[in-house]
Amino acid sequence: MATAAATGDATPQFKLILVGDGGVGKTTFVKRHLSGEFQKKYVATVGVEVHPLSFHTNFGPIIFQCWDTAGQEKFGGLRDGYYIQGQAAIIMFDVTSRVTYKNVPNWHRDLVRVCEAIPTVLCGNKVDIKDRKVKAKAITYHRKKNLQYYDISAKSNYNFEKPFLWLARKLAGNPQLTFVEAPALAPADVVIDDAHKRQMEADLAAAAQVALPDEDDGDM
Amino acid sequence: MAAAPPDYQGIGTAFVSHYYNLFDTSRPSLAPLYRPSSLLTFEGEPFMGVDAILTKLTTLPFAKVAHQVTTSDFQPVMPDPVAPGMPAPPASVLVFVSGSLMVDDSPNPLKFSQVFHLSPDPANPMSYWVRNDMFRLNYA
Repeated sequence: MATAAATGDATPQFKLILVGDGGVGKTTFVKRHLSGEFQKKYVATVGVEVHPLSFHTNFGPIIFQCWDTAGQEKFGGLRDGYYIQGQAAIIMFDVTSRVTYKNVPNWHRDLVRVCEAIPTVLCGNKVDIKDRKVKAKAITYHRKKNLQYYDISAKSNYNFEKPFLWLARKLAGNPQLTFVEAPALAPADVVIDDAHKRQMEADLAAAAQVALPDEDDGDM
Repeated sequence: MAAAPPDYQGIGTAFVSHYYNLFDTSRPSLAPLYRPSSLLTFEGEPFMGVDAILTKLTTLPFAKVAHQVTTSDFQPVMPDPVAPGMPAPPASVLVFVSGSLMVDDSPNPLKFSQVFHLSPDPANPMSYWVRNDMFRLNYA
């Protein structure tokens, strides 16, 4: 946590990079966190909206300075300035759009080119939608690259805290870290029923037991 | 020296307004502005010819885009004669635009700059086509 000390701020802060194809729900996701949404700042020179996402852990508060683009990824790759000094990352795709999962290796490649190995979570968003195209068993990239994976649904707040908890534990180097107070989130726009949640969790657990294909397909 | 186009400012101004209006409302309608030898460099990626250029522009993955032009500058490009005593080729127009644009539902403007080189159509010297087009978003 050297960076936190360097800022002179008592609360540890980390630059969190949010990447993934346009339209996968990055902005919707980051806007769920209400105090972050109220305190966000648009930095026009970098074309980035920075949301300070605070969480309360059993070791005290932590802030992820979450970078969200103004849509420039829809024009081409992002400039290095977006990645530079990133300390944690979320790569997001849309489970209802196969091409957004196919592009995950490209986003990961760009990320590690600048940031090398920073704690990174892969998130499959929009799992509230029944017609899921990228099934749990098809999501294997994180296992090849040692990333964490979570199903999420920004619109229902499903698993909203999971990526942040995993990243906070990695950054603190302490797997005992927990969140002691839930952040205020925007009310859910859709509801995922418990049976659907149990099914998704069972599917992920089953997928994790399947051996990875042996062929040399590091880039899928 | 070739004579400057009679009204390169007027040509440039009309082009800029026409181009971004089409881009923001109906990208396929940009096709007649390009020719087989047109070149586009879009965020560093090169394209040549109407088909490649239109494929790029119409498959950009956003549903809505709105350009706001802040500045536009124009120059006549006056080629030398190909040989002494020969008439010089007709002049063309160089256009440099800067502005901002908004994509889909993002409320945050992105800065851009774009250069066009407009050539007169030999068959219809009052009509111009885009010989060169270079587009960049301006952010760190």
